[in-house]
Amino acid sequence: MRATAAEQVHSSTNAYLMCAAAWLIPGAGHLWQGRTQKGIVFLVTLPLMFATGLWLEGRIFPFQLSEPLVALAAVADLGIGLPYFVAKMLGAGAGRVVALTYEYGNAFIIVAGLLNMLVVLDAFDTAHGRK
Amino acid sequence: MSDHLLLMALFAAFVSVTFAALMRDDPREQLAFGARLFGGFVGAGLLLGWLLFPFPL
Repeated sequence: MRATAAEQVHSSTNAYLMCAAAWLIPGAGHLWQGRTQKGIVFLVTLPLMFATGLWLEGRIFPFQLSEPLVALAAVADLGIGLPYFVAKMLGAGAGRVVALTYEYGNAFIIVAGLLNMLVVLDAFDTAHGRK
Repeated sequence: MSDHLLLMALFAAFVSVTFAALMRDDPREQLAFGARLFGGFVGAGLLLGWLLFPFPL
């Protein structure tokens, strides 16, 4: 049976709401869809990777449009969702350029954000029946 | 912690776990795929490290 237009709009709204939750809390989209095992893996792994990056004295990059690569890194950092804002509130992520692990820390923080974006896309595709 | 190999392995572990969970549904397949990815990441890192060894900084 074909879904009515109202049902389609409702389901689409739900999918976007689910994506927002998935971005804010890594793994929340999969938990929402009942894929508990995957959701828990993402919920543990991605914030832990982000926290490891902070521990390694990596930097949360500012949105600096005059420096395009810095701005791109800032977008990637933001991909992790809530942990980004918590770190900002706690004053973490200042980065220490002279630290031996600075670049490693940046890689952990950036990749954690990018991986969460992939996780959100996976939840979105599943919500639309593409997987 | 400043052991480069350990940090590389830790990074590989995080990425492998995430991709394994993302791309496979069955837990056994996830484990096998994750182990293969992890081995590939660490192996490629070591290989590239040795290939770069003769070059000056």
